[in-house]
Amino acid sequence: MATISGVSLSSPRVLLNAPQHAHAIKFALPLRQGMRPAIVRSGRMLRIRPVRAAPDQISEKVEESIKHAQEACAGDPTSGECVAAWDEVEELSAAASHARDKQKEKDSDPLENYCKDNPDTIECKTFED
Amino acid sequence: MAACTVYSTQSLSTIPTPSKTQLSFHQKQVVFYTTSRRNSKRGNHSGRSYVITCAAGDSQTVVIGLAADSGCGKSTFMRRLTSVFGGAAEPPKGGNPDSNTLISDTTTVICLDDYHSLDRTGRKEKGVTALDPRANDFDLMYDQVKALKDGISVQKPIYNHVTGLLDPPELIKPPKILVIEGLHPMFDSRVRELLDFSIYLDISNEVKFAWKIQRDMAERGHSLESIKASIEARKPDFEAYIDPQKQYADAVIEVLPTQLIPNDNEGKILRVRLIQKEGVKYFSPVYLFDEGSTISWIPCGRKLTCSYPGIKFFYGPETYYGNEVSVVEMDGQFDRLDELIYVESHLSNLSTKFYGEVTQQMLKHADFPGSNNGTGLFQTIIGLKIRDLYEQLIASKAETPVAAKA
Repeated sequence: MATISGVSLSSPRVLLNAPQHAHAIKFALPLRQGMRPAIVRSGRMLRIRPVRAAPDQISEKVEESIKHAQEACAGDPTSGECVAAWDEVEELSAAASHARDKQKEKDSDPLENYCKDNPDTIECKTFED
Repeated sequence: MAACTVYSTQSLSTIPTPSKTQLSFHQKQVVFYTTSRRNSKRGNHSGRSYVITCAAGDSQTVVIGLAADSGCGKSTFMRRLTSVFGGAAEPPKGGNPDSNTLISDTTTVICLDDYHSLDRTGRKEKGVTALDPRANDFDLMYDQVKALKDGISVQKPIYNHVTGLLDPPELIKPPKILVIEGLHPMFDSRVRELLDFSIYLDISNEVKFAWKIQRDMAERGHSLESIKASIEARKPDFEAYIDPQKQYADAVIEVLPTQLIPNDNEGKILRVRLIQKEGVKYFSPVYLFDEGSTISWIPCGRKLTCSYPGIKFFYGPETYYGNEVSVVEMDGQFDRLDELIYVESHLSNLSTKFYGEVTQQMLKHADFPGSNNGTGLFQTIIGLKIRDLYEQLIASKAETPVAAKA
């Protein structure tokens, strides 16, 4: 049970350098695109726990921040409160965009990502015949 | 007369060392050396005031500043820059997954948002934006950039862009090249003095709007109105605190709408200007055909066929905020590989190591935004110029101890 099998200590560099640490957000659950709700049985009740992919959580924050900014600016559109609220929208929108980029990279082939930066290594050379 | 801050060897050698490549450069014993060239870049090394600095390793860190507003292509620029220096830049291994830092063999990129003194809630309470100097701790920024430049590791805070909170700090070791990117790298005069080279990305309002539409329109809750409102609300602080920094930049990349198509406001075709300051030590500007003259060049013709709306270049001397500058401008976009090669072969002083290096870099990152226009071209060229500047600086430092003995 506790035996680690199939792990080679001399694993190729591809695995070590591949951006497996390019995860976007720490509260992300290791679920991809699918986002099927996880079913948790607690006692007699069958509880449905919604699970979101990481960028979705930021998306929600972006949406909230826009609503908040619109409210904050209803009175005085030049107030500090209004300006700070729209600045928060910008910050979260940028964070959401970065998270999407990271997710895209994560979803793509790690070998391909590695080879983009290290085209001359043996793992990445292509030979005809 | 001899002022020396002593940092104990003990504390330096106990730094955890996950990255082997970085270590080899700074692991050597603490070296005490005399130098009179600490401010050599700014040219005030007159007099005999020798200052003794204590540095870990035999090299000082070269510091580069990159300023731009949020959503103006700093991340893309950073990826191009670190790619030119060699190796991939990645977040610190095993650290906070929300760290804003990127580390490669030679380069560490830190995000200046990490020096926010007010977190999201704090800014909301006080009604200030992140652009406002009151939301940033310039004393800490200066202390830490200075320490890194002198070869001392620092515990840098992490601003978490997702939660809007300041996370526990991360250890940053002095790299060969330190890039500080963010809203205010040239705002504080003390920090500015530490920069060996500085860049400002100047995105015109029209293009900024077009880019933010591309970035945000798919985002739930966003609309043309919300994108516009956000830009408008931030504008006064942007103009007061961010924009003025461009006068200090050694290179400015200006991104404007094209002039090739009348009244184009799609923001797809861009006119990009590379404004290069003259007289900057170790930086000799890129030029077209004949250094110092004024040239308008349309590469498309009998030898090279381009598709609509074509490509247009301009080169010439200008004055920018009272400084002598050389400007290279490109309007239009590359549609085919041979266009890029043709253009590269006509530009001089590119600091490439081999023929076609600019083209190779652009192709390598063909999926990055701007790889077919002036933004990608000039970002790549600036990367090459910084590599060249770094190599010259290191070579000059190698000579310094000899000069000090004589």
